[in-house]
Amino acid sequence: MQADFLDRHSRLDSPVHRLPAGAKLAAALALVVAAVALPRSQAIWLAALAGPLLAAAAISRVPWGFLARRMLLLEPFVIGVAVLALFAPGGGWAFAFLVARASVCLFAMLLLANTTPFGDLLRVLGRLHVPALLVTTLALMYRYLFVLVDEAQRMKRARTSRTFRPGRSRTWRTSATVIGQLFIRASERAERIYAAMCARGWR
Amino acid sequence: MEVRDLRFRYDDGTEALRGVSFSVAAGESVGLIGPNGAGKSTLLLHLNGLLPESHNAPAAVRVDGLPIAPNNLPDIRRRVGLLFQDANDQLFCPTVFEDVAFGPRQLGLSDSDVAQRVADSLAKVGLAGFDRRAPHHLSGGEKRRVCLAGVLACQPSILILDEPTSSLDPKGRRELKELLHQIPLTKLIATHDLELVVELCTRVVILDKGLIVAEGPTVELLSNEPLMLAHGLDRPHILRHTHPH
Repeated sequence: MQADFLDRHSRLDSPVHRLPAGAKLAAALALVVAAVALPRSQAIWLAALAGPLLAAAAISRVPWGFLARRMLLLEPFVIGVAVLALFAPGGGWAFAFLVARASVCLFAMLLLANTTPFGDLLRVLGRLHVPALLVTTLALMYRYLFVLVDEAQRMKRARTSRTFRPGRSRTWRTSATVIGQLFIRASERAERIYAAMCARGWR
Repeated sequence: MEVRDLRFRYDDGTEALRGVSFSVAAGESVGLIGPNGAGKSTLLLHLNGLLPESHNAPAAVRVDGLPIAPNNLPDIRRRVGLLFQDANDQLFCPTVFEDVAFGPRQLGLSDSDVAQRVADSLAKVGLAGFDRRAPHHLSGGEKRRVCLAGVLACQPSILILDEPTSSLDPKGRRELKELLHQIPLTKLIATHDLELVVELCTRVVILDKGLIVAEGPTVELLSNEPLMLAHGLDRPHILRHTHPH
C-alpha cells in the first residue's frame, strides 16, 4: 500500500525542507493571495510569482516528474471551471489567465505539502491560535485518510478475487455496496478511535 | 481491580455480559480467554469506563476501590491503561511523538515533562528515535509498540491488553512478549494466544457467552482438555510436553 500518495517527498532533506514550517506556510499563502488578487491586466506578474516557486522546487529536489504528474491530475478540475470563461467575449485570454493563475496556486500548495511534514503544519496552525477543534479534525483526517484508502483497497481486492463474470451493471452494484460498507466501517472505526482517545484522558 | 456482577446489553439487544465477577490483585498477571464473541472486548471497555454503566447500580467495576462514575473517569483512565486490538484505532496522530504525547498532554503536563515521558516510553519499547515517523509508515510490530508506549506514557498502574499479539509476525510477537514480561505492572490480557498466557499469566479467567465459566491457575486450567475444548479453546502445545513431577 502506498500510504504516502499525498506528501511522498515531505521528509526529504534539502534547504527548502529545512526552512521553518511557519515561514513556508506564510510564503505559500502570500503567494496564493497575490496570485488571486492580481488583476488580469497585470498578468505578466504571474511569471514573477512562478519564478521563485520553480526555483524553490528545483532546490527542494522533489522530483519534477512527480510534481508534473500531480499537476496533471489536478488540472482537469481547474480547466473544468475555467472553460466557462471561453463563452465570454475575449474568452481565450481570460481562460489562459485563469488556468495559469490556478496552476501557480496549485503548484505552491503541492510544493508546500511535499516539503513540510503535515504534523509541522498543524503545529504552526496551533501556534497561530487556530481553534483546537479544527486542528484536531485536520490531524485525524490526515491520519485516517490513509487507513480509509487502505481499507477501500483491501475491500476492492477482496471483491475482485471473487468477481468471475465482469458485467457493468453488476460492477456498479457491488461498487455501491463497497462504498456503503466503507461508510459503515468508517463510522464504527470513528467510535473505536473515540474510545481510544477517551482511554488516554481525552475530554 | 474488582468486578462484581457486571451486566451489559448492547442497543441491539445482544446480552454481551450476564453477570461477571472477578478481581485482579496488585502485581498480578491474569489471562482472559474465551471464544470469539464471548464478551472479552466488551468487558475490557467496561474496565476503562468506556461503555455506559446504566445497567449496573451500584457500580460493578471498582479500580483501586474507586467505582466507575462520571466524576471518577479521568482518574480511572489514568490508572488503567488500555491497549486496543486494532493499532490503527489507537494511533490517531500524524506523528509517533504526537501520539505518545497525547495522554501526558491530556494529563496537563508541561511541554518538557511531556517530551521526557515520550522519550522514556519510546525507549522502554525499544523505539527511541522514532518520534518524527508517521504511524502509517510503521510495520505492524512497530505500531503495536508505539501504542504500548502511548499507554505507558500515562504511567498507569494496571495494563489491560486486548489481543496484544494478533496480526504480529513471530518476531514481533516474541519482542512484545519480552517487553510485557519486563513491564512490572498489574496486567489483564485478553487473547487467543494461549502460549502467551502460559508464559505471562499466573492465573486465567475463562469467559464464554457473557459468563465466567472457570477461573484458576494457568497450567491447571489450560491442561484440562475437556474444559478447553468445551469453550472453543485448545490445550496449548507447550503444555502437552511438560511432565508434572
